[in-house]
Amino acid sequence: MQSKWDIGEPEKPTVNADTESLKSELLRLNMGPQHPATHGVLRIEIWTDSEVVAHAIPHLGYLHRCMEKHAENLDYRGIIPFVDRLDYLAAMNMEWTYAMTIEKMLGTEIPRRAELLRILVGELQRIASHLMAFGTYALDLGAFTPFLYAFEEREKVLRLFEEVSGSRLLYNYIWIGGVWNDFTDAQLDRVSDFCDTMEVEAKKYNELVSNNKIFIERTANVGVMSIQDCFDYGATGPVLRGSGFKWDLRKNQPYSLYSEFDFEVPVGDGAQGVVGDCWNRYMVRMKEVVESIKIVRQVLKKLEPGPIMGKVPKIIKLPKGEVYFKAECPRGELAFHLVSEGDSKVPYRLKVKSPCFTHVSMLPHIAPGQMIADFVASVGSIDIVLGEVDR
Amino acid sequence: MNTTNVHETGSVKDYFSAMLEGITSTVKGMWITFRYVWAVKPVSIEYPEIREVLPERSRMRLFNDALNCISCTQCAMACPVDCIYIASEKMPEGAEIKKTSNGQPIRLLLTQFVIDTALCCYCGLCTTVCPTECLTHSHDYEFSQYTIDGMKYDYLAPDVIAWRDRIVKS
Repeated sequence: MQSKWDIGEPEKPTVNADTESLKSELLRLNMGPQHPATHGVLRIEIWTDSEVVAHAIPHLGYLHRCMEKHAENLDYRGIIPFVDRLDYLAAMNMEWTYAMTIEKMLGTEIPRRAELLRILVGELQRIASHLMAFGTYALDLGAFTPFLYAFEEREKVLRLFEEVSGSRLLYNYIWIGGVWNDFTDAQLDRVSDFCDTMEVEAKKYNELVSNNKIFIERTANVGVMSIQDCFDYGATGPVLRGSGFKWDLRKNQPYSLYSEFDFEVPVGDGAQGVVGDCWNRYMVRMKEVVESIKIVRQVLKKLEPGPIMGKVPKIIKLPKGEVYFKAECPRGELAFHLVSEGDSKVPYRLKVKSPCFTHVSMLPHIAPGQMIADFVASVGSIDIVLGEVDR
Repeated sequence: MNTTNVHETGSVKDYFSAMLEGITSTVKGMWITFRYVWAVKPVSIEYPEIREVLPERSRMRLFNDALNCISCTQCAMACPVDCIYIASEKMPEGAEIKKTSNGQPIRLLLTQFVIDTALCCYCGLCTTVCPTECLTHSHDYEFSQYTIDGMKYDYLAPDVIAWRDRIVKS
């Protein structure tokens, strides 16, 4: 029997109490292409769970200039300005590697002075490039002053290169067979002075940034790459050495005259944090600056007057075949794979193996589980230049 | 997947020693920057008022001295971006054959010498192949234009030829 108070089942409330629709989902964020922390025009699509990165997907191609395709229509000397624009912060090393690739195929003998001058500019460029890496890395982490200090020293190198080659960034200085212009004695004295000041400055940078507690807290134990990761992805250069593996082409497979020089290969030692983290990768670069100064000093001692251009035919035609040449650039191993059809002024194919490309491909591996701010530190620590990634 | 953001909890002693380390290392860094107040001279230049003298070899805007050009088109061949446009024709009958400053006879009549400076990559390859050294890099670096057509320089136009007195030394 129904009581008069019994009103049956209570109605379901119509407000949003549907618990199944209250699920959480990842937030998609675009970092870049115009983000100060991405060093160029890299767009990273990150999926975040609150402030923790769940996935990171780099999207490339914003700086793609079809350099490899262009090279198929250019004579071998005309490719050098394009090669400059690969890694525009270390253009000397780019054109040096390219010139050595062609010379290996031609079998050209390079005069000793030209080889030494190449090592000189190559190492000065390495210092300039690492200074840029140091400055922008501190800038990523919120310190503005080190950037200005680094640029003050970098400016001296660029000014010297401008006097020697005529341009500040894209030099076209190292030619097939030698170098374009000779250094004067006054310029060599300035290089010597620069070495003296740079040694003092490097200590100052370490005091200012590397051993700063805030910097260490931001970078140590962040973005750890194990040696196995580096092998799996094919990392080279400071990234590989920061993970504790001693591998430097200048030492292990000496090209040019590097076998005559006495220098150390710095590796990440885990003085702060663990081996393979951002701090160790950064520190490898700072130590390499000191090693480069050593090499430059030795070059200055060895330099003797002599010719700076070898014998190269006026129109370069390579024999049929292919060549693969790799060299140690500031950001890792750069390699050129050149295929020639023979009896042609242009290459059939010029493939660039760029170190930054492999390093960018490591980002999806190290990103998961990091805070966004730490991810910025990780991106900065691999020191990418997008001109080289996209080509 | 590696999680690297584990904030390990330490003892109270660690907490305060880390704090002390942070303060001392920051003070050290601050001291380095503070020294710049009096011990270091400024290195920057206030650009529009003070201008740096460019090095001798600086590669800026191209200039072709059309009076010395023999229309050999080597520069156009060497150019990796093809920004030099040259046209020439046979000298009219009975015309006097002039000579360039280094003694080469001018056998062709130059009718067009245009460089698209917007395309130019300032690599310097064209100037190195020039047999009469009439194509040179000048030291002009301020030549922004409102339209991209303004970047095309016709080196046979009278106003551009007038640069010669300013750029070419005797």
